Amino acid sequence: MEDHDIDEDEFEFSRNYFLAKESGKSGKKSARKLSEIDLVDEQDLRAEVSKIEPKHEKEIASLIDSYKSLYNEWAFELQYGFGLLLYGFGSKKTLIEDFASTALTEYSVIVVNGYLQSINLKQVATAMAEVLWEQLKLQPRSASGGSIKSQQPFNSRSMDDLIAFLDGPHAPENESFVCLVIHNIDGPGLRDSESQHLLARIAACSHVRVVASIDHVNAPLLWDKKMVHVQFNWCWHHVPTFAPYKIEGVFHPLILAHGSASQSVKTATIVLQSLTPNAQSVFKVLAQHQLAHPDDEGMPIDVLFTSCRERFLVSSLVTLNSHLTEFKDHELVKLRRHSDGQDCLYIPLSKDALEKLVQEINQ
Amino acid sequence: MATADEVHISDNDLKPFFVLHKASNSQQHARKPVGRTSRKVKVNLSSSLAASDESQLLDDQLHKNSRMKNFHDAWVKIESTIKDVLHNINADVFNEINGWVQKSFGAICSSGKLDTNKATCSYPIVTDVTSNQIFTAFVVMSNIEFVDDLQTFADLGVHLQSHGCHMANLSSVDFSAKSGIGGCLRSLLRQILNGSTDAADISILASWYMEHDNYKNPVVVIIEDMDRCSASVLSDFILMLSEWVIKIPVILILGVATTLEAPKNILSSKAVQHLSPSKFFLGHPTDRLDAIIEAVLVKPCSGFLVGHKVAAFIRNCFLRQDGTLTSFVRAVKMAIVQHFLMEPLSFTVKGLLDEEVAEADAWPRQALDLPSCMRLSEPKSEALLSGASQMKEVLNLWSSVVLCLHEVGKNQRTTLLDLYDEALDPKLYNLRNSDHLEVKPDPQRPSWNYDMHGQSFERQKGGLISRTIRQIRDLPPAALHQLLEKWDKQTEGVDMIHEKVKELRLQEDDNLKEPPTRSRKQTIRNNGNSDKLSEKAAALITCMTREHMQPIECIPFHEIVCFRNADKLQAALVGDPRKRIQLDLLECNKFLKCSCCCTKSHNVPISSMHDTSLMYTLAQEHGNLINLHDWYQSFKAVISQTTVKDKHKSKVSPSPKKRKITAQPQIITEASAQARFCRAVTELQITGLLRMPSKRRQDYVQRVAFGL
Repeated sequence: MEDHDIDEDEFEFSRNYFLAKESGKSGKKSARKLSEIDLVDEQDLRAEVSKIEPKHEKEIASLIDSYKSLYNEWAFELQYGFGLLLYGFGSKKTLIEDFASTALTEYSVIVVNGYLQSINLKQVATAMAEVLWEQLKLQPRSASGGSIKSQQPFNSRSMDDLIAFLDGPHAPENESFVCLVIHNIDGPGLRDSESQHLLARIAACSHVRVVASIDHVNAPLLWDKKMVHVQFNWCWHHVPTFAPYKIEGVFHPLILAHGSASQSVKTATIVLQSLTPNAQSVFKVLAQHQLAHPDDEGMPIDVLFTSCRERFLVSSLVTLNSHLTEFKDHELVKLRRHSDGQDCLYIPLSKDALEKLVQEINQ
Repeated sequence: MATADEVHISDNDLKPFFVLHKASNSQQHARKPVGRTSRKVKVNLSSSLAASDESQLLDDQLHKNSRMKNFHDAWVKIESTIKDVLHNINADVFNEINGWVQKSFGAICSSGKLDTNKATCSYPIVTDVTSNQIFTAFVVMSNIEFVDDLQTFADLGVHLQSHGCHMANLSSVDFSAKSGIGGCLRSLLRQILNGSTDAADISILASWYMEHDNYKNPVVVIIEDMDRCSASVLSDFILMLSEWVIKIPVILILGVATTLEAPKNILSSKAVQHLSPSKFFLGHPTDRLDAIIEAVLVKPCSGFLVGHKVAAFIRNCFLRQDGTLTSFVRAVKMAIVQHFLMEPLSFTVKGLLDEEVAEADAWPRQALDLPSCMRLSEPKSEALLSGASQMKEVLNLWSSVVLCLHEVGKNQRTTLLDLYDEALDPKLYNLRNSDHLEVKPDPQRPSWNYDMHGQSFERQKGGLISRTIRQIRDLPPAALHQLLEKWDKQTEGVDMIHEKVKELRLQEDDNLKEPPTRSRKQTIRNNGNSDKLSEKAAALITCMTREHMQPIECIPFHEIVCFRNADKLQAALVGDPRKRIQLDLLECNKFLKCSCCCTKSHNVPISSMHDTSLMYTLAQEHGNLINLHDWYQSFKAVISQTTVKDKHKSKVSPSPKKRKITAQPQIITEASAQARFCRAVTELQITGLLRMPSKRRQDYVQRVAFGL
């Protein structure tokens, strides 16, 4: 029995090895195109996504419910200086917020939505300081008279000041905590190392407790040992919920709507139509050249200039360059170095897409 | 129906952050750190809660509170013990550094007297290039992992401050290329001037230094992790300090994690010229760890102990993964938290905690149900009564034997970590008792496989303990004498062993009383004597290990004080998202426990499976690139095909279960299939298991993980 398992493991291992090493060039690779699928229009697709019928609703609900029995344990760990890190497949947003509002009523709780694209941590720290200050203010003065200094509005303070305030001494009888809930601490808005260091510093403050969730399999790579052991001091909990990533996924483009030829053509047409007729014609010259020379790396600028001047589209290189800048800004045209060292221009679209685009603007 | 299913996004979801709630007013009542209000606790911690009558509930509440209190006491004790141990270990080098700081300051003061005129002139007068030297200590850490030494440097700061120095502890974060020289200067000023300024101007420091009596003491700047600082910023900082050194005699202490060559390699040669270096060395992490193990785990200081598996896990973490004391201490803390959370009887730990054993320290009735009591031979009530005091006795015996063994092993650099681990092993103990120790315990001892806390670290055959014992025989008389002296000290207070050690020492004294003028024969005989003596010492320790070294897990009632769940500890300490998230997806049935997707062999895609799970299962068939078209087609095939089959089946045998499935929409429109596909891809993208199509390969996504 055991031998059998080992064999299976080995088989699995070698299979994975060959799967991973399978090179893109091998003949077996399927070359089917996405465009072969009859793709639904993006708007319809989005509408359809929001209407997807949930599967296993009951099971998921009871799974999430089963974690309720752990709330006390989590609160205990939190109280004694560990940070909670929840991971596992499925959105943990509702779970964590439910935990925070049932078991952490003694703390003030601030929620950070890490799945958003940009988050200003200074504002978060300011809000935390304000909440904490209110909390300390309500305490009996006896013990912590000195800790509340003359109040300067928090939003004009520096980050160091805010952290120093959050890391202030505790009144012996009454511990005040602010709990920072971070959904997707590995999310796009927080993924950079500067944010992580800042979060780690905040997490290490004496008045702060952190509950965070991660979804990315490589999230632990964000932290070094100091952050993991000393600052965040994570206590890991594996809590798969299988709940749909509704809000977390909103900002991701849909795979069947994005990147496909029809989509880029559509956006490119819209951009081109907003430009002057001359600019459109310059683009057409470039497009026709690219269609005529599909194997070329692109069109050298001087060639473009000559052919545009011949057609009275531009009078000087300056005008041409101003058109080109516009194209480049909208990613309609890109620059690359020709093998002979010359800069040349190309349109980053496939042949089909380009043909479609030329048709569209000709109409 | 449709409206209910629509993505429900509230305003709060789209705000970068929001306040969920503020602390409730109930916390205004002075709240002990351990007690939580009973109202709040709906789910009781104790798992053994079956009867729900009120007295029981009240009892449970009381017990829970005392458990929390015990935890608190135990942890405070452990924390302070660790602090003391580290303090003692570092005391020597700290004093050495302090001496050097004072000497350097003296040297600076004697070379050029500081006066207000110089300090207030707009630019420091540089008399000659060699004079502006900065006294610098390179403190070499013997661990490339600098986390342990963060605390050491913090302690060093406190130590020097207590001797009057003006201290600033900086780290590589302050020396980042981004914030430049202004960043480190600002933190320096913040720390020395107590946060009264946010300007980055060193002249502020200079004028502050001249105020009051500040100039009577040196300014000491500690940079914890020099190796990680931005080289140019650090060089600039040093150059700047050297220009001002006449006004502000700064003394630098740089932590070096790599080699002493590092400063030369990192800093610009101009900056190096201005340093007048000295070296100091911090203790080795293994030594510190041994000291901590001795104080915290071998001598039962807190009423909390760990079992063999946990010890093995912690040991392996230290030896093979992390190598830091910080993670060791963290593991101990996590273990103790888990123990008091999981063990309902841990409310009685107090008996073991107190210095003098109280009368009422019998274990509670419920303790009789513990597995370790099942095999008790003596009358159970008596066992209960003797309770904690008896356990304490056994533990004391155990720890003194372990420490005696460690004394022997010290010469061969046997670490307490290894000895401790082996001494805790209940299997070895049982073997030792059945076998003769002299004969190798058992070369065929089953090698257990705990995944990560395993035994794979090869133990030389015969076991560490018997090897250590064998070493006694080879000891020269002088070393044996020292050893016996140490044993004498270690066993003090443990009468059973102490007597025997004393006896042995008396014999030794007799031997030494031999006349000093020795003929050759006598020398030989004397050697023979000492041989005999070492033989006796070996016999004694063998007997001690056999009789008194009873691991905690062989003692009745050990469950109350001993944490043994290594798996739980591992799961809490080191999450493994890469493996676990994939397993979630591949074996979603394990978690959802639904009736519909239950198949005999897992990894067979069925339409009722969670979409993302289904997609990931399908992805397993692909190589590192997944053709989106193929993937979509197979996904669509699975979700539609089985529905058809179910429909077909339901006609044949309309069992209620099947009918439920057919209640699902039968026709899957192209749009809804595409939508489900899109959502599953997005979810996989969120987990990081997929890389999205690049411009070059628009029709492919890339798989990231192969194998768990």
